[in-house]
Amino acid sequence: MLSLRIEDLAKSFPGLGGPVLEIASLAIAPGSRVTVTGGSGSGKSTFVNVITGLERATSGKLVWNGDDISRFSESARDRWRARHIGLVMQDFHLFPGLSAFENILLPARLARVADAVTIGRARELLATVGLPRPDQRIETMSRGEMQRVAIARALLRKPGVIVADEPTASLDAEAGEAVGRLLLDLAEQAGTTLIVVSHDQRLINRLDRRLTFQAGRIVSDSVSDEVAA
Amino acid sequence: MMRFILADLRRLWAGATVVVLLVALATAVGVTVTLQERALRLGSARAADKFDLVIGAAGSETQLVLSSVFLQPAPLPLMSGDVLAKLSKDPRVAWVAPVGFGDSFAGYPLVGTTRSLISSTVSGFAEGGMFGREGEAVIGAAVKLPIGGEVKPMHGTAATGGETHAGVAYRITGRLLPTGTPWDRAILVPIQAVWHVHGLGHEHGEEEEHDGEAAREITPAAAATDEHGHSLFEAAREHGHDHGHARETAVAAGQGAHGEENPDHHGIDPDAPVVEDFAADAPGLPAVLVKPKTIADAYKLRQEYRNGNTLAVFPGEVLTNLYGTLGDAKLVLGAVAAGSQGLVAAALVLVTVTHIGQRRRQIGALRAFGAPRSSVFAIVWLELFLLIALGIGLGFLIGLFAAQMIGNVFTDQSGIVLPVGFTDEDLKSAILLLATSAVLAAIPAVLAYRQPPAAALRA
Repeated sequence: MLSLRIEDLAKSFPGLGGPVLEIASLAIAPGSRVTVTGGSGSGKSTFVNVITGLERATSGKLVWNGDDISRFSESARDRWRARHIGLVMQDFHLFPGLSAFENILLPARLARVADAVTIGRARELLATVGLPRPDQRIETMSRGEMQRVAIARALLRKPGVIVADEPTASLDAEAGEAVGRLLLDLAEQAGTTLIVVSHDQRLINRLDRRLTFQAGRIVSDSVSDEVAA
Repeated sequence: MMRFILADLRRLWAGATVVVLLVALATAVGVTVTLQERALRLGSARAADKFDLVIGAAGSETQLVLSSVFLQPAPLPLMSGDVLAKLSKDPRVAWVAPVGFGDSFAGYPLVGTTRSLISSTVSGFAEGGMFGREGEAVIGAAVKLPIGGEVKPMHGTAATGGETHAGVAYRITGRLLPTGTPWDRAILVPIQAVWHVHGLGHEHGEEEEHDGEAAREITPAAAATDEHGHSLFEAAREHGHDHGHARETAVAAGQGAHGEENPDHHGIDPDAPVVEDFAADAPGLPAVLVKPKTIADAYKLRQEYRNGNTLAVFPGEVLTNLYGTLGDAKLVLGAVAAGSQGLVAAALVLVTVTHIGQRRRQIGALRAFGAPRSSVFAIVWLELFLLIALGIGLGFLIGLFAAQMIGNVFTDQSGIVLPVGFTDEDLKSAILLLATSAVLAAIPAVLAYRQPPAAALRA
């Protein structure tokens, strides 16, 4: 599990008047379960992109367990992300034409780290997320099943952090509930830091801490009512 | 990686197929041109291989070789018959053989020549044997006529309005082994029979004297003006006509009505023995083929018989000049082929770059989930390169097939066997094409490599 420390972070895009993300200070302890909320355009996605190294901060420090990834080159950020971050996205981003098993292993294979242990873990994860047919083509699965595959993929390399961007938004209530529960359970079992961007109140309520964004700034940082209670 | 690429290609099979076919067709055009040109060069060189020196009346070197070696039906001027007699006695000559043509049967050219030429240029008989009498003929390997069959010669060809020589028929005595030359499609008869059919050298004495005179005095211009493809011996007869020897030489080509007995036509004595001892008063000839004893003799003979009245050429040398012209044509065709390949390459790059734009989210996702940039580059590069390489491979096969088909048609029509096949030069071309493709495929790969993953995911 990883801890995050942010100091004077800003992210700007050319042509825009001011930074789209501006965080003076933020710390997330290892093993925390944090939800990020806010309206459309509030900076949530930019926050996710910056903390996962998909985008480089314009200024400030972004330190994961002592590594300031804002200083890393793009290739170095790719390597760091592959090793430490498990990403789950609203649109799954699975690859048609490949089976569930092949989808889980694809990033590891492309990074040439898919050894026998990793392949065995992929099979275990498929069973853990409740998918009995590893060779089923991805395009023949339901959306709920697809998101389970995406969660298994995110967990394959035992990441220190799982970042999920609206993981239940494209699912019906029942599938969303199941996927949310699965995500939390697996993160807890692995002792992984979990950061979830979501509008799903049931999911939000089950997480320890809630960061609310507005206009690129954190306007609220609170402990969940359920957890506080 | 390969599984991902193959899955991607399976998913996009229609587009992938179009890309492969486009590349294959563009490649095939260039390959066909190259193979065909080379095969034509080799095939024609092999066809002329056995003919060291050709001597004819002064005129076109190219036409002399095309008519005598490649048996192309075209009017040739005649040279005096004493050239043949002189060469027969020349100690520098291993053998000399007259060739007389202008007649045909069933679409096959009839060539009057000697047994020594046949024995020296063909390795033997597939069936039957050599002609021994004036009314006998041997046929090339590709002539579809039976042994023992009858050949009724026709002036020129049916296509040029030829007419059958009334009462003249040869009996086929043998079929030669294949040579891969136009002579495989020829019917070979004794030269004396050709002379006699055309009213030349028929009888010793008055008639032969007139014929000899006509032949000796014939000018290239007179012979070359014939419009019916009959000129080889017609010219001599026309000339005799002008001199008032109509009865003896029975000239006036084409004046007899088709299907009627033609006063131009003379008979042969089918049982007369073949005589190949040529005297100075032999009738005029379009060409003689000469086998010099040594290379030095060949050059001396060529020099000696390039004297204004006669023309001596090495077929190989004439072909080299023709290859120069062919080379120019190849250059033009090659430029057209290269242009089409360039257009296809440009279209492919455009399509691929557009395709990469459409796949930005997929590329971004690969990066986001941990695929290194180098893998993204490799996927895009390999996917396109595989398609192009497949197209190039297919194009080479299609090109080979097309060149072979064209070669077969050419062989059927001309008798010249075209050796169509790949050489080291083609291997180099293929490697060059693949190398160029590798560079072209790198363009979209670099674009994918440089795409920031977050921006790609937002697309």
